[in-house]
Amino acid sequence: MASAADVRSILSLPAVSSSAAGPSQPKKQAASSTRKPEGISRELYSLIGPSAPTIAAQLAKPRLKQKPNFGGGGKVKWEWRSFKNAARSDSLELGHWVKATDSPNTDYKFAKYNVQPTTYEWSQDEYSRYLEDSQWTKEETEYFFKLAHNYDLRWYIIHDRYEYPNGPKRELEDLKDRYYSVCRKLVRNRTWAGDEASKGQLMNSFQYDKEKETLRRKYVSSLANRTPEQIQEEEALYIEIKRLEQNERQFKRDRENLLRTIAGIDSGLPDVVEDDATLIIADPKKKKLKGIDIDIPQTPVLTAPVMKRPPTLNKNAVYDATHCIIRNDPPPTTPATKVAHTPAYLRSFKIPYPKAATAAKVNALLTEVGVSNSRLVMPTVTNCQLLESVIDAATNLVELKKVLDKVNLDIEILKNRLDLREDGGDGASVGDAMDIEDRGETAEPEGENERSQSVMSARSTRSRKHTRRSMSISSVDTTAATSTRPGTKRQKRM
Amino acid sequence: MVNYGGDEVSALVVDIGSSSLRAGYAGDDTPKAIIPSSYGYFPPSASSVDGDVTMNEAGSSQSVGKAKSFFGHSGPSIWRANMEIGNPIADGLVADFGPIPALIRHALEDVMRCSASEHPVLVTEPSWNTPANRERMAEIMFEEFQVPAFYIANTSVLNTFAAGKGSALVIDIGQSTASVIPVVDGFVLRKGLQYSSLPKLVHAHARHLLTAPNPVRPPAELYPYQLISNKQAVEPNAPPRYTLREDRLAGVTQSWREWYEAREVEEWVQSVAGVLDQGWNDQVVQHRQHKQYEFPTGYNAWFGPERFGVGEMYFHHSPQLVAGNPNIPKHIPGLITDSLRACDQELCQVLISNVVLTGGGSLFTGLADRLGSELARHFPHFKIHAPGNPIERRYGGWLGGSILASLGTFHQLWISREEWQEHGKAIVGQRCK
Repeated sequence: MASAADVRSILSLPAVSSSAAGPSQPKKQAASSTRKPEGISRELYSLIGPSAPTIAAQLAKPRLKQKPNFGGGGKVKWEWRSFKNAARSDSLELGHWVKATDSPNTDYKFAKYNVQPTTYEWSQDEYSRYLEDSQWTKEETEYFFKLAHNYDLRWYIIHDRYEYPNGPKRELEDLKDRYYSVCRKLVRNRTWAGDEASKGQLMNSFQYDKEKETLRRKYVSSLANRTPEQIQEEEALYIEIKRLEQNERQFKRDRENLLRTIAGIDSGLPDVVEDDATLIIADPKKKKLKGIDIDIPQTPVLTAPVMKRPPTLNKNAVYDATHCIIRNDPPPTTPATKVAHTPAYLRSFKIPYPKAATAAKVNALLTEVGVSNSRLVMPTVTNCQLLESVIDAATNLVELKKVLDKVNLDIEILKNRLDLREDGGDGASVGDAMDIEDRGETAEPEGENERSQSVMSARSTRSRKHTRRSMSISSVDTTAATSTRPGTKRQKRM
Repeated sequence: MVNYGGDEVSALVVDIGSSSLRAGYAGDDTPKAIIPSSYGYFPPSASSVDGDVTMNEAGSSQSVGKAKSFFGHSGPSIWRANMEIGNPIADGLVADFGPIPALIRHALEDVMRCSASEHPVLVTEPSWNTPANRERMAEIMFEEFQVPAFYIANTSVLNTFAAGKGSALVIDIGQSTASVIPVVDGFVLRKGLQYSSLPKLVHAHARHLLTAPNPVRPPAELYPYQLISNKQAVEPNAPPRYTLREDRLAGVTQSWREWYEAREVEEWVQSVAGVLDQGWNDQVVQHRQHKQYEFPTGYNAWFGPERFGVGEMYFHHSPQLVAGNPNIPKHIPGLITDSLRACDQELCQVLISNVVLTGGGSLFTGLADRLGSELARHFPHFKIHAPGNPIERRYGGWLGGSILASLGTFHQLWISREEWQEHGKAIVGQRCK
């Protein structure tokens, strides 16, 4: 095969350097050898090429964490060196591999972990003065303290290894009690170099309540020695408690919901007291779960702001008028508490009723005139107001009638007395009385409408002409029960 | 190196058990040398008779006293005429210190190719070791091996360390003993120490099962490969057809016979025997898979429910068995109960939630699961640490020693040569608590 140079020579093309392979090939950019600016990664540079935006060059070199330089960039020389351990009392030299760069004079770095606990020793004099104990001999105490020191106050080990010849059997509590009491006495009676606070601290660390510890141990062992039946019973009881508690919580939640829906207020009743503390101890596993359960019912009680007053702004009065919205202003005197809050209600709930004392009579009267307060077909605002005024009027009438009856009765009595005094004859006084009565009668109905007049006439004791609809008031008094009409007649006015 | 508090001083760790001796460098994760504890030897009188023993048999011959001894993998397992088998370990303790130096020397010098005089040596001991034994061990190391420093540590404590714990209830099932030992803060609670030769009972049971006459199959003959010249394949349960090497039979000693028979039984136990994980149940056991096993004689059989009866011995002894043998070794639940009863109530909870199962015998099929179900019957909360890695299980003691001897803070505890010379034997008891 002919090489490219041969072809060139055949075609008498000028031999060219490698930089210009042919006319069609673009000239290789000399810039390709330009160094990539600092601060751009190699990959990015190969993508954007040398036409790097100037901003890239302006970017500061990213402040990345220095890459760890493992091995110091070169070989590390290790050497086998023997060392002496400062924690040892003899001259044993062991060897280990260390970096050759490390200083040979440094102390062995694990020697510092050799921490010895403070040991308490005493003289014969000190022992006889402070440390005498009927349960312990001096020798045994010394043996014990040596053991305690040897095993770094690991009490279970000390108790396990405690074998004083001919000594009594020592319980763990006995040992601890002895140790701490000896230490306490020594610290208390010796001169203390440091300040009082540190002494107190040390004394506190030597506090030991043997009775309590013994009791606690007894509890622990009784807990551990339960029979399977006892454990089962305990389990069953525990489950029962949980069930009851859950029921109670459910009740409480239902009650809250009910009260909120019906009355719109929170009940304000006290929460169900739960004996949580003991249960948590009994089973810490379920603690978390229960914690959530407790929180749920509590929150609405504390935070629900249902007692806010409805906004009574006049600026939307027009809006209200067009949409037939009537706002009931709460009485300004009541404070903005729960009590003052009026929840949504049906107007029919607020239809006025006559007073309990006169209710029967008023009802009878109303029925007589054809008004049935129990059946208000359209309890609109106006209707309710009208009904209210009618009931008020009826109540007034009944009241007045009562007074009238009383006065009449008085008059009768007085008349009778007068008759008896004058021994029959003069009827002028009777006429006077009649006049009085008539006057009272005629004065009253003025300003009333026709129906009221008829009612008034019905109440007169005189035998007047009854109107079509009214009955005599006496019949109201006596036969109210029988005369009440069945409510077949619909009220038309209201 | 400093991160985990380690500082390796190239210490050696030697762990001697009933079946094998493990030796290696501290800081390693497996022992470098694992050799059988049993060794072959010619009684002094016999050694002169037999002249064909060559010295080039893997360098395993040593002389103990006047007798010739063979250690290592080509020690007891090679047939030699009139060779006796010895094992220095009895009940987990070194009963015969005679071959111990040679055994250790074989492991360190012939297998590991290192000299003990250049390395501190940590040796392990069982928790029920006697003071005399450990002092003797120290003496051997200092006087015969010229070690610069020595320490003797408790296997149960080391097993605790190997499990990454400070306190644990170590259940160690070895070849000859099973022990339950409470360890608290790296110390053994001696009052709670419980051990029994339970594995031996299991072994005897298995042996009885194999060799006793049986209506289903002929009893197995426990000849090793070394004594069989040829054999033919036979159907399961059919009598084997093999010929023995008559020339060798004459030279088989009683101790070697016991050794190889024990080994055949052991192999059968390891590959066939198992234990049900929920206690004995006749129905369940019927549904378990049968396993086939072939003995060196060519005799082979399928083993069904009986293979689970072997493992049951670890956990339950039938009343008639107990009645027949008043000194029967305690089973594992019994050991655990007794051990915990001796411990403080407060410690029981700590211990039972840190149960460490270790020892080669614990690799028995289904043993860890069964132990779990046994514990669940008595304790509401427990946790068993049983490494899945057989190396960790078998060499847990060695592993713990490897960890301990490579700790920087441990190096203050070595008994140095100087201290040995100054204080004598008493220093061992003082230092190694």
